Amino acid sequence: MLTRSTATELWGLSAVLLVVLLVLLVRQRHVTTVQRRRIRSAERDVSLRDEELENLLGNRLPAEVDRAGGADVEVPAARHPELRSTRFGELCEALVVMVGASEAGAHQRSSDEAKETVRGMAAAVQSLAAEQQVAVSGMQAKHNDPAVLEGLLRIDHANSQLGRRAQVLAVLCGAWPGTQRSASELSDVVRGAVSRIRDYLRIEVRVDLPVAVVDTHVEPVVLAVAELLDNAARSSQTGTLVRVHAELGHNGVSVIIDDAGVGMTSEQVGRAAKLVSGREPVDIRRLGNPPQTGFAVCGVLVAKYGFQVSVDTNSPYGGVRAVVFVPNTLLVKAEVSAPVPKTRVRDAPGTSTPANGTTPNGLPMRRRHVPPPASTPVPEVSPASRQEVPQSAERTASAIRSWQRASAAVATERPLAGNLGDQPTEDRQP
Amino acid sequence: MTPGRGGRALVRSHVVTGGRATPSRNTLDHITLITATKDDVAGLEPEKRRLVRLCRGGWLSVAEAASHLDLPISVTKVLLADLVDSGHITATAPAAPAGVPPRQLLKDVLDGLRALL
Repeated sequence: MLTRSTATELWGLSAVLLVVLLVLLVRQRHVTTVQRRRIRSAERDVSLRDEELENLLGNRLPAEVDRAGGADVEVPAARHPELRSTRFGELCEALVVMVGASEAGAHQRSSDEAKETVRGMAAAVQSLAAEQQVAVSGMQAKHNDPAVLEGLLRIDHANSQLGRRAQVLAVLCGAWPGTQRSASELSDVVRGAVSRIRDYLRIEVRVDLPVAVVDTHVEPVVLAVAELLDNAARSSQTGTLVRVHAELGHNGVSVIIDDAGVGMTSEQVGRAAKLVSGREPVDIRRLGNPPQTGFAVCGVLVAKYGFQVSVDTNSPYGGVRAVVFVPNTLLVKAEVSAPVPKTRVRDAPGTSTPANGTTPNGLPMRRRHVPPPASTPVPEVSPASRQEVPQSAERTASAIRSWQRASAAVATERPLAGNLGDQPTEDRQP
Repeated sequence: MTPGRGGRALVRSHVVTGGRATPSRNTLDHITLITATKDDVAGLEPEKRRLVRLCRGGWLSVAEAASHLDLPISVTKVLLADLVDSGHITATAPAAPAGVPPRQLLKDVLDGLRALL
């Protein structure tokens, strides 16, 4: 009996144990599955993050550094967009932004420092060029020998180019063009630009409009036109002409520069149009070597002074047509350009007029004798032989006679000067 | 004309003369007299046009013309020689130097007069 009940209890207990075991097994299995899945997911996450970090270091950050430095590159996106919403993804984006900002700041600082230095150097060269220009002009006024003038013209030409180069550097570094001029006729503005380029003899200027550029804008327009002319002359063959003409429009004046050069590819046109628009900041460290300053400096001037430059059309001669448009606000009416001498013009030689004014004391003024009509053409004499002429005996005799006649005419009306030593004695010597 | 040419003129001399330094004729001097003979200035460069306008209606010396245009005399001579060649301007020999007597002669005369008095 006892044995039978015990056995039954044992069976019951075993069954309960079995059930519990089964439940535990099932639960264990479930937990294991969940854990396995978690481990797999964590492993995948780690490898995704590794890949993302690799992408960040290998592609995104270098691109961001380049972009912040001013290069025209696109920063690649994250390789695994599903990470973007995670804390890791947010931190990666923040890192990219921070590196970019820091690089841009460093770039700006170094650019500013470089510009500051170059601007100082350019200003020094500019002032030396200006000083030299004044000296050369002084010598041109002083020396009469064609051989000397020839040398001076060459020096002046080289110096003008030097000044322009320094001016371009200064302008690219944010300085003003460095010279203030008075309002100048458009033709003078264009020819002023022609003065500053190497191939000035190949430029044909046909600008004859009665307009002048306002004082503050003369130098900027001259500089922009000079750079465009230089580009045109350099990119066309030496035998060809660069033609400049101007057209008056409703809103302003266009100076049109046509060359017969090689032209530009559409890519070059796009880049040039971007540069001359004035909307792109200019980095002097990216102008290349030899530096391509022409369009860049036009852009800086356009942004600062409010005229326009376009280089995106072809010239009728197969090259490039560059147009500088100066709006009406920067123009004034040109003054009548004929200079009228205040001391008007003497009579033709040989015709003497008796009345010749009076001195402040009311005495009649002495008038020099004028020899009979010298209508004969000027003799072709060399400078050497010309110098000998006044020394001839005949000339001297004639001079004494004329003095005698003149003094005879005056003697009755004017007392002899008290101190002859004070009289000028060589006022008419050539 | 651009005022205040002076030492820092906008249009430089090499452009004004087209790079030439020697006049096409050597007959022009500082005091050679010039006058315009043609009114038509079409096709001339601005400086030449100004020269012709300046010389209308009278005689002017080369030096005066240069001064009015604010150009160096040597540069003006190159332009004037061209204008004489093209028939826009005619040049004539300068008037003979006025008979200003030498200082020594005047002194002698003064001494003579003093001796008389």
